[in-house]
Amino acid sequence: MQELALIQPGGMARDEFLREAAQGEARREFEERLAECGPLAYRVACGVLRNSADAEDVAQEALLRAYRRFDRLRDRNRFRAWLVRIAFRLALDRLRSSKRREQRDTFWSHPAHQPPAANAEDLAVSNEFQAHLDRALGELPEKLRLVLLLAAMEGHTIDEVAAIVGVSAGTVKSRIFYARKQLAEKLRCHAKTIKTR
Amino acid sequence: MPCENYKDALTEAAASGADPANALCSNAKMAALRAHFESCASCRAAFAEEQALFISIDAGLHATANAEVPASLLPRVRAALGEAATPRRGWSANWLALGTVAALVLVIFGAYSVRRRDSSENPVSTAANTTSTKAVLPTPLDPISSSNSMANRSSAPHVRTAFHKNPVPQETLASRNSLPQVLVPRDQEILLVHYAGEWSRRKRAPLVAESADETSLAPLEVAPIQIDQLDVKLLAEEKSQ
Repeated sequence: MQELALIQPGGMARDEFLREAAQGEARREFEERLAECGPLAYRVACGVLRNSADAEDVAQEALLRAYRRFDRLRDRNRFRAWLVRIAFRLALDRLRSSKRREQRDTFWSHPAHQPPAANAEDLAVSNEFQAHLDRALGELPEKLRLVLLLAAMEGHTIDEVAAIVGVSAGTVKSRIFYARKQLAEKLRCHAKTIKTR
Repeated sequence: MPCENYKDALTEAAASGADPANALCSNAKMAALRAHFESCASCRAAFAEEQALFISIDAGLHATANAEVPASLLPRVRAALGEAATPRRGWSANWLALGTVAALVLVIFGAYSVRRRDSSENPVSTAANTTSTKAVLPTPLDPISSSNSMANRSSAPHVRTAFHKNPVPQETLASRNSLPQVLVPRDQEILLVHYAGEWSRRKRAPLVAESADETSLAPLEVAPIQIDQLDVKLLAEEKSQ
């Protein structure tokens, strides 16, 4: 069914009405993208912050910022890449400036977000390894971290990650390789410690 | 060759997901690695550990990168978008509105007090004014009051009170009636506004011409009718008598 609008053509200044109509159109277009890109912004923020509440705040802020500047984005096909960059930057800022960093609850302490484990021992081992992994991930250079997170997200191919980050597919592969290698170097000793118990 | 020399190669093979046992020997280094890998059990065990480590890393990354999105996120963002879309007035605009209201209240209060003072000082002239006001009030736009004006002449103050109780000025009603609201499909809003703009511009043009003609034309002057003196002639019978 076609949507109707009740308007009073002569009731307001023409320019004002046109401006409002354009804003309405932009909002409709933005909301269409919101359902698709909102989770992406959240996951990027969550990958950096590893805290659900903080990630939700950052995702909301990133989406609002994107909405306010939506009319400045000439190529609307670049919206995902643009939003990812905003969310990633905001999450890094939040991580750096947060004074509650030591006090906050870790995202992975929430039972709903834990990877499946066979028993209590596996669960403890898994949590410990995940904590080490999160710490090692936080120590990676920003470029490597973003590419690794995007590549690990479901449904993202190398080409899509390359399009989002704005580099070639070869560069993405290279960054993934070096990021995983660095993570392995940091985690090797922890993996051995956990295994020998 | 000792196993230590193959450590980096094995790590890189594990990181890239390659299996030295099945790798194509494209160069001498890989051929040597494959030969050593097949003969050395400790290197095979080390490679299996490396593979397990990368599998764990990938699983952890997958869990981190695909966190469950809270259901509250999108409603929260939509609500915030609604607030962001509503333009917030600055403090200066608020003060301006407040000042305007205050000035309006003062003017109304002043006018009311002056009117009361006049009526208490000179009740006769006020009554006369009231009567004259009453005679002017009915207009063609208000057929009910005009039809009742003769009947209500004796109860003029009542009519006047009724006019004052009505808070909507007639001019406002007329202007509202001239600006109809229309239901249009969403995609035709802009077109309709364009049309309304054109329409009002064209409508304004003849009105301007009319007013210009009224001001430029001098009042029509008609010369007084001149009637000559009547020359009454007698009839034939009267002549004979």
